[in-house]
Amino acid sequence: MRTDEVNLSCGMEFSPKPNSALLIVGHGSTENPDSSAPYFDHAREIRRRNVFGEVHCCFWKEEPSMREALYMIDANEVYVVPDFISEGYFTRDVIPRELELTGPTTRIHGKTIHYCDPVGIHPSMTSLILRRTVEVAPGVPQKDSTLFIVGHGTGLNKNSTKAIKDQVTLIKTLPDCHFADVLDTYMEEPPFIADWAKLADTPNVVVVPFFIADGLHSYQDIPVMLGFEKEEGLAASQKEIFRRNPYRLQGKTLYYSAAIGTDPMMADVILDQISTFDAKHVAH
Amino acid sequence: MSLTKAFTETLESGVNQIGQIRILLDPIRLHHIDDSDSASLEIHTDPDDAREIGLYTPEGEYRFTKGELSLPTGWIFHLESIEQLRRTIDLLYPASLGLWNAWKNDTIRVQNLRDKLNRQTGMYRHSRNVSDQGAQDLVKCLCGPTNKCVKKILWKIDEEQPLEDSEASQFNGIVAQGDEANAIPLLCQEACNFFVAQARKKAKEEFEAKPA
Repeated sequence: MRTDEVNLSCGMEFSPKPNSALLIVGHGSTENPDSSAPYFDHAREIRRRNVFGEVHCCFWKEEPSMREALYMIDANEVYVVPDFISEGYFTRDVIPRELELTGPTTRIHGKTIHYCDPVGIHPSMTSLILRRTVEVAPGVPQKDSTLFIVGHGTGLNKNSTKAIKDQVTLIKTLPDCHFADVLDTYMEEPPFIADWAKLADTPNVVVVPFFIADGLHSYQDIPVMLGFEKEEGLAASQKEIFRRNPYRLQGKTLYYSAAIGTDPMMADVILDQISTFDAKHVAH
Repeated sequence: MSLTKAFTETLESGVNQIGQIRILLDPIRLHHIDDSDSASLEIHTDPDDAREIGLYTPEGEYRFTKGELSLPTGWIFHLESIEQLRRTIDLLYPASLGLWNAWKNDTIRVQNLRDKLNRQTGMYRHSRNVSDQGAQDLVKCLCGPTNKCVKKILWKIDEEQPLEDSEASQFNGIVAQGDEANAIPLLCQEACNFFVAQARKKAKEEFEAKPA
């Protein structure tokens, strides 16, 4: 199956908002500069489409901070989209606190701010995952393949795995999904991705990390758990991890994807999340 | 007045510097203040290139605080509009123009350190336990030109307690002895999250140093 044969539900028609601003909120990092790259990529793509008057990013760990972000914005109406993979502490506590939000729509400091759900829980992520599998394993028969979606998992917060479990349920319902099985797996709680060879009954395996950014988890930790990287040090070129497909391991053929958040079509998921917000909260 | 209009008027009045950047009009150009020979510089026309330029120090260290006095040299932006100029500056010095405009209009919302620390939750909640003196010491070892940041600090410890005199607390947000009449200062309206993380560490050290 080719990429263009996957029936995408993401990329719904988006009504341009030339008088509004989009503010993409990311986590960011004081250690890994790659961590915030996808947010800027998503902003660049949406800016290119000319559907918002302004497009900005802000972060928890980098600059501009959430408290600084509103100063950059001229527009009176602002859509805030958390570029996060799941609902949880950041989307429910930190972002509303830092942006002084009191509900889906807040009027503050002379602006009307609409607070959308995080991108990771939007149904259009489902077709994006399926599209990614076709890109990473072109021509590989899905009926002979198992799809693993990998999250972090902590055991401390049930919501951290809910987004992935929901995606697994949804992806199985897609008419274009012909995988023998689709499984949610985690780095730090069962079912562990390290047990992939035992969990898969098929000769082929496709692994998609359910993270926004490529960082140590997708460059190093998960490759070590899958068995194609050694514990010590990073690969000579981190990007090589995703270019050496397929890997022949434990009698199976494994295809490894970059983090789902690095897909260029994440811009569509962000816009879809805004359309969903409007349909739910904004009367037109 | 929109930020773009306010910025345009300021540039037309002769302002030509922010942080380590020189701004030129007609045509719009942007380069490092230490680069005087523009013929040898790498030309960029896409504002988004600014993120890569400001990502690492010349020594290859990640610049996660953009107020750091370590912006690499060797580049020049050829831009077509004030909007492009704003976007480029916002990637090199995030939100700096908006903060400056609000400060100038007296609409900036400064938050003192105690309020900032008291609003923290989760693992950073413990940052509020840092002593006043510990916080004063952190300003001297984290802020200011000799440390990580060249922003003008607008906040105090709390309403009654200003920052102690130091290079950090006295710095005006303008580097390279730039003329205050011709430069936009970099501003710090509340302690950054890196400062909060260090306050948390300091609070832990203070707790562990207390006699049992």
